[in-house]
Amino acid sequence: MELFDNLLLGLSTALELNNLGLCLLGVVIGTAIGVLPGIGPIPTVALLLPFTFGLSPPGAMIMLAGIFYGAQYGGSTTAILVNVPGETSSVVTCIDGHEMAKQGKAGTALAIAALASFFAGTVATVVIAVMSVPLSVLALKFTAVEYFSLLVLGLIAAVVLAHGSVAKSLAMVLLGLLLGLIGIDVSSGAARMTFGVAELSDGLDFVPVAMGLFGLGEIIANLERPAERRVVSQSIRSLIPSRADLRAAFPAMVRGTALGSVLGVLPGGGAALPPFSSYALEKKLARDPSRFGKGAIEGVAGPEAANNAGAQTSFIPLLTLGIPANALMALMIGALMMQGIQPGPQIMTEQPKLVWGVIASMWVGNLMLLVINLPLIGLWVSMLKIPYRLLFPAIVLFCCIGTYGIANSLFNVWLMLGCAAIGYFFIKVGVEPAPLLLGLVLGPQLEENFRRAMLLSEGDFSVFLQRPISAVLLGIVAVMLLAMLSPTIMRNRKAALIEET
Amino acid sequence: MTRSTIDWQDLLFGLFLMAVAAGTLVATRNLTVGNAADMGAGYMPRVVSLALLAFGLFFCGRGLRRAGPAIEAVQMRPLLAVLGAVGVFALTAERLGLAITSVVTVILAGFATREGRLRETVRFALLLSGAAVVLFIKVLALPVPLWPR
Repeated sequence: MELFDNLLLGLSTALELNNLGLCLLGVVIGTAIGVLPGIGPIPTVALLLPFTFGLSPPGAMIMLAGIFYGAQYGGSTTAILVNVPGETSSVVTCIDGHEMAKQGKAGTALAIAALASFFAGTVATVVIAVMSVPLSVLALKFTAVEYFSLLVLGLIAAVVLAHGSVAKSLAMVLLGLLLGLIGIDVSSGAARMTFGVAELSDGLDFVPVAMGLFGLGEIIANLERPAERRVVSQSIRSLIPSRADLRAAFPAMVRGTALGSVLGVLPGGGAALPPFSSYALEKKLARDPSRFGKGAIEGVAGPEAANNAGAQTSFIPLLTLGIPANALMALMIGALMMQGIQPGPQIMTEQPKLVWGVIASMWVGNLMLLVINLPLIGLWVSMLKIPYRLLFPAIVLFCCIGTYGIANSLFNVWLMLGCAAIGYFFIKVGVEPAPLLLGLVLGPQLEENFRRAMLLSEGDFSVFLQRPISAVLLGIVAVMLLAMLSPTIMRNRKAALIEET
Repeated sequence: MTRSTIDWQDLLFGLFLMAVAAGTLVATRNLTVGNAADMGAGYMPRVVSLALLAFGLFFCGRGLRRAGPAIEAVQMRPLLAVLGAVGVFALTAERLGLAITSVVTVILAGFATREGRLRETVRFALLLSGAAVVLFIKVLALPVPLWPR
């Protein structure tokens, strides 16, 4: 069985002593930073990215993936104990999780969140493994034409399924594409938009851009709002959920996992969609929906499972086709490129050790989360007590040193400063920065494949419709764009993404 | 939330896009464009910036025609303190060394909020500076000077 061979190869990579250590390190650091309110997974990964450059490619990816789901898990802890969602995906956990904490059941809520995450993580690992093989076979048929269409599909789908205005997100993708063009043109050697700055000849580093847009811009905007935070302070008594709690939570976990696994694969669906949908589903299925919002355990178990399953299956497009589904995966792609690996449809056949190692490590990492986090809950609670007035100067400093460290260049620090100002502007005018990052990372590949495809077809644009795979991909794009124009779908999408209260 | 008769969010974003597009068109005016079969370096920048220009016009038009939520007032204190801290880091890191720069950066950033207490921030800054030196210079061997040169 190919599947078992692959998983075995993955496990042998993931269980190598140093990779195991990196996974543990990633999970712990990720949780620690994720617990801190106000920093979601994207800035966390961007902040820690420079640390992984010296590692082997599988080691780096394993650690980054660990940081990612660790941060997401940490965000749930904060959501339950402080009622502050670190990011969109834990907004739903706040509703019933914090209510449970106020009723003195913080321990149960945390334990259920951890169990749900682990259960979802285990199932999602298998889902990834099963889906990867056929996708990678398909991917081998790809030429520049199909890859271009796939990139377009990835970008458009990420825009359509994410929250926020579609028109604004499309504009942000274009803005990102434009930034991605900066640098020396590979085919002609002409400098494009470098303004004579030598540091720009290799193109914009995406880490300073991400840190500025997502980290610092967000911090400035946060500081404008007077923050009020109350940690549920009574000691967390029992971490072991009762039999009745488990019986109530388990079906929700299963449904959440299924929902999350499906929605996670869709580009852009990685973060917000699964937990919201799962919460809505649980509320609909419940015998007494009025319990929701007042500490219903299903309202924690379902969304937490969906959240984690979605986070993991959002790696599928990245690991099989080499396209990122959301801004976070774009960071991962960037990390791969910095490791000298060209992401693309061939990634699975060319880097089996890396791909399967990362997949297997996700299960290992989730097990670690379960084992370490519950006993360490006291430590995380004490981290929550670090006041924001001390936290944010520390983040500013580490962002500065981190961006500097990527290429030992002060230019990157200035670039981050500029992006922070622009990120603040984006928050003020109500635009999501995530599509910009996708455009920036995918831009060069999009252009390269477009040019190659056009060169082969001698300038005939219809080539994208003549080849079947490409035509299907573009057909999906067209359907999605048309669907966005339909008023009923717009309304439903709004309803699905709106915060359930 | 107060509403104004103009959607300032749309309008400002539209103007921003148009400015970026115009800037790009000027900056890339000397690049060869070529044709679809043989694209020059200027082909994609031109295509993308023209599309951006169209988006910019669209948002400006929509912003002027409909009402929208008012933009929250800009507070200068956090903006200037955080950006200033980053700027000072960029200016001093290679001259004064990481130890001093870290302290200065943290203290400056601390001014972003009124909640900050100077004595507490200074103590915290010294602590962080020590941690940063150990982590980045000793453990990760970042080639940045420790003390002024």
